[in-house]
Amino acid sequence: MLSLKNISKYYQAGGNKTYVLNNVSLDVDAGEFVSIMGPSGSGKSTLLNIIGMLDEPSEGYHYFMKEAVHQLKEKARSALYKEYIGFVFQAYHLIDELTVYENIETPLIYQNIKSSERKALVADMLDRFQIVGKKDLFPAQLSGGQQQLVGIARALITKPRVILADEPTGNLNSKQGEEIMELFRKLNKEDKVTIIQVTHSEKNAEYGTRIINVLDGKIDSSRNV
Amino acid sequence: MLGNHIKISLRTLRRNRTFSVINVLGLALGIAIFLLITEYVAFEWGANRFHKNFDQLYRASTFTADADKGDYYLPPGYAPTLKNRVPGINEVVRVAEGVGSGLVIVPGTNGSTAGNKSFRENKVSFADDNFFRVFSFPVIKGSTSLAKAQTMAISASIAQKYFGNGNPIGQVLNIKNQFGLTPYTVTAVYEGMPQQSDIQADILLSYKTLENAAFRNGNNWADPNGLGSGYTNIYFMLNKGVDLKLFEAQATQVIHKAAPDAAKATLAFQPLRNLHIAPSFSYHFQTYGSLVLVVSFLSVALLIMMIAWLNYINLSTAQALYRAKESGVRKVLGASRMQIVGQYLTETAILTLISIVIAIVSVKLVQPFYNNFLGKELSLTVLNQGRFWVGGITVVFTGCFLAGGYVAFMLSSIDPLKTIRGKAAITIGGISLRRSLVVFQFTTSVILIISTITLYRQLKYMQTQDLGMNVQQRVVISGPSTLSGSQRDNTLAFENQLRQLPYVQKLAASNNVPGEGYNFSADGITRLNANVGDDKKSYAMLIVDDKYFDTYDIKIKAGATFTPQMLEQGWSKTHKIIINESAAAQLGFKNTENIIGQKIKWDAEFEVVGVVKDYHHLSLHEFIRPMIFLPAVAHNYFTIKMDTRNLAGHVSQLKSIYEHSFPGEPFTYTFADESFDKQYNAEQKLGNVFMASAGAAVFIAALGLFGLATFAARQKIKEIGIRKVLGANVLNIVTLISADFLKLVAIAIVIASPVAWYIMNKWLQDFAYHTSIQWWVFALAGSIAVVIAFVTVSIQSVKAAIANPVKSLRNE
Repeated sequence: MLSLKNISKYYQAGGNKTYVLNNVSLDVDAGEFVSIMGPSGSGKSTLLNIIGMLDEPSEGYHYFMKEAVHQLKEKARSALYKEYIGFVFQAYHLIDELTVYENIETPLIYQNIKSSERKALVADMLDRFQIVGKKDLFPAQLSGGQQQLVGIARALITKPRVILADEPTGNLNSKQGEEIMELFRKLNKEDKVTIIQVTHSEKNAEYGTRIINVLDGKIDSSRNV
Repeated sequence: MLGNHIKISLRTLRRNRTFSVINVLGLALGIAIFLLITEYVAFEWGANRFHKNFDQLYRASTFTADADKGDYYLPPGYAPTLKNRVPGINEVVRVAEGVGSGLVIVPGTNGSTAGNKSFRENKVSFADDNFFRVFSFPVIKGSTSLAKAQTMAISASIAQKYFGNGNPIGQVLNIKNQFGLTPYTVTAVYEGMPQQSDIQADILLSYKTLENAAFRNGNNWADPNGLGSGYTNIYFMLNKGVDLKLFEAQATQVIHKAAPDAAKATLAFQPLRNLHIAPSFSYHFQTYGSLVLVVSFLSVALLIMMIAWLNYINLSTAQALYRAKESGVRKVLGASRMQIVGQYLTETAILTLISIVIAIVSVKLVQPFYNNFLGKELSLTVLNQGRFWVGGITVVFTGCFLAGGYVAFMLSSIDPLKTIRGKAAITIGGISLRRSLVVFQFTTSVILIISTITLYRQLKYMQTQDLGMNVQQRVVISGPSTLSGSQRDNTLAFENQLRQLPYVQKLAASNNVPGEGYNFSADGITRLNANVGDDKKSYAMLIVDDKYFDTYDIKIKAGATFTPQMLEQGWSKTHKIIINESAAAQLGFKNTENIIGQKIKWDAEFEVVGVVKDYHHLSLHEFIRPMIFLPAVAHNYFTIKMDTRNLAGHVSQLKSIYEHSFPGEPFTYTFADESFDKQYNAEQKLGNVFMASAGAAVFIAALGLFGLATFAARQKIKEIGIRKVLGANVLNIVTLISADFLKLVAIAIVIASPVAWYIMNKWLQDFAYHTSIQWWVFALAGSIAVVIAFVTVSIQSVKAAIANPVKSLRNE
């Protein structure tokens, strides 16, 4: 489904190149649940952002759904990730001015989906996550776990093939974190959604089908669970 | 999508209440002031344009080589002379403004003279019969023609005043003016002339009347066919497509042939549309309105509007820190840049609309006060003239759109990755942009403050300057309209009676008074052994009695005042004059003592009997002119220096004496100091408008600063927390936040001072006598700006400084 070949990301500092990612190659198949681990500053978030096309590598080849991403123009690239990728953030990044319902609905608006259809889709999602009762609340009125739940619902509303999650449980307590991980596992198993998450937690990493360790901008190890 | 935009915009605006309110207040105030000033500009621009034929109408002026401006008081004979000899003329109409002023005697209803009412009118003009055909002043009743001698048209308000609801048509009114007592028949009633007309008359008398010498009372200068004395305005309606240059050349030629006296003058024609406001600063025709005033008002309006827009940009980009995250998330969720721009533009549109509504409501509320202090009847409907509202709306919307568009593009350009990670510091448009905006706002404000102070200082200067005479506690009574044989005795008897009154300290009769004007100007006055060109020099003539100088405390430098014999004979027989110092100098006398007894040539020879010290007969706008005082039993004005205690009682006694001495003459009086001060009305108005504008500019700039300080306090919350934990006190923190802003204000003062100095120096040059711009004016303006800025910023910085640092640090 996606393939990175010899990807590097560096910053020019004076005459020196500071590498964030150094010659990384990685393949992820459809249906996988990959956990990327590594210490702070190892480059794991950058790796995730490059996969999500939010960031561009300095060099290397990047294929996604058989498209050569490194050759695509900005517009085509964003069209690609809008269609196939959903993002989940550590800080949830819900829009404060919007209700739960509206937050989940927003991506559909940007895809020009008709109002009646949007209603049905959002209602389904609310139902599935059992947050119908909270649909008119604003993010500030929710607990962290509930906010992340909404964040995931929002990421799923466009039926993406891949979910990219950057420390999705980083701001949650362990019980909330567990629930989110169970949800990911279920999505991966039942809905066949490919999931790539970045995490600090050994325990959360174990939910994945493969664990990749990143150290100093390189893939240190990779093992299947 | 739009519905969604609107919903979210409203929520955002509500959530950021402080910012929204500041933004709306600033914009609304800016728009309101812009509208009010544009009303005035539209009103001035629209003057005289209500005439149906205005683009074909011209007023004739003559130009001579040594005069700066054209002269539009022309001999009435020019009209018939040109009409028949120059092709291209459709209509010619003469209007002799104010020439017929005097007393109007309205007969009583019972037919006996006892029921007569008389009114003093000073807007009585002579006009040709085609007046109502050429100009668009609607006639309500009667015929539109003044073709017959001894016919008149009166305005609706005069008709109401004289006849109530009765029918004025066919009524015969006696008019007593410089042409004696003449009966006129009312043939028409016209609607009051609008304020936007530079032609103003309450009563129009038929010009034809003056063709009969019997109705001129010996004033042959007024002969409608005369080519000598210029006292009338002549308007021409030219055929369409006339070549104006050629027409002017032909007209000049015809006049030169007909009136050899006018050989040095060139005839030129001023389009009616430029009668009020000149089309350029170097315009040579005289105008009623002031282009400088219109341009400065318009500049102030645009400046304030600009300050308001900059405020908007400033406050909105300052919020970028908070809005950036939202934009970033939206982008990740699939929003295109245009969709995000649309979101911000919707917000701008909503803010703008709210501001416009508030502005319009405010304009409606303050309109009466505004009109009162400008002395004009303005309203938003004025903007309909010349489609000023199109321009106005364009300016308001374009500005808001540009400001909003700038903000939208800046905010939508944010790299979503940065905002989502929350790592990179988000500075939209850069801190330097926001700083420059603040500097610009305060520069403008300081310029306006300095201008306002200078304006008021000049006003104060003019009002408190030693005039060389005294107008305080002087009551001026208007004298009888004309002086026939018996009235001359009445005048002297009246004066004698007044002198008996205990509270009358001094009394003088003169034919004009300080602050009002001179009696006439004359040239051809020289010493006996004159230099070449001396006869071209002009003198202001004033007809006075022997007590005039004493009554106004004008000092006699040499010689003495007139004697009663000189008054009795009158200047044309006694050939005695008094001159002021300027006149002495202009005549070429070096030593004032030697002048007494000297002869001056003015056709005949006149003897100088006195020299008075120069005094300001008119406002300080003008230089003191060389003046010549002529002796006569004057009767136009009686100036009384009186004990002003129990004024009301004294005035009623004066009234009864006056009415007894001059039966049928209405008693009217003024205070000399008030009339003199009226000359400064324009400066007073300008000062008021500038004060209001400066206030608004400072207020809007302060609003912006308040917003920025709020933002800075929030942004630096962590820094403040850390500093407090490290031991900083409240003062340290306040200084930390305030110093940054005060620096900007200081820069603004430095930029503003020379600019303001340059502008105000230019303005002051227009006054013959003016104040200087002192250094402390800049210091004062600067201090005002600094204090306001400091107070504004302190509100926020103190709040930030006293907050518990634990909270702010924990939030991180």
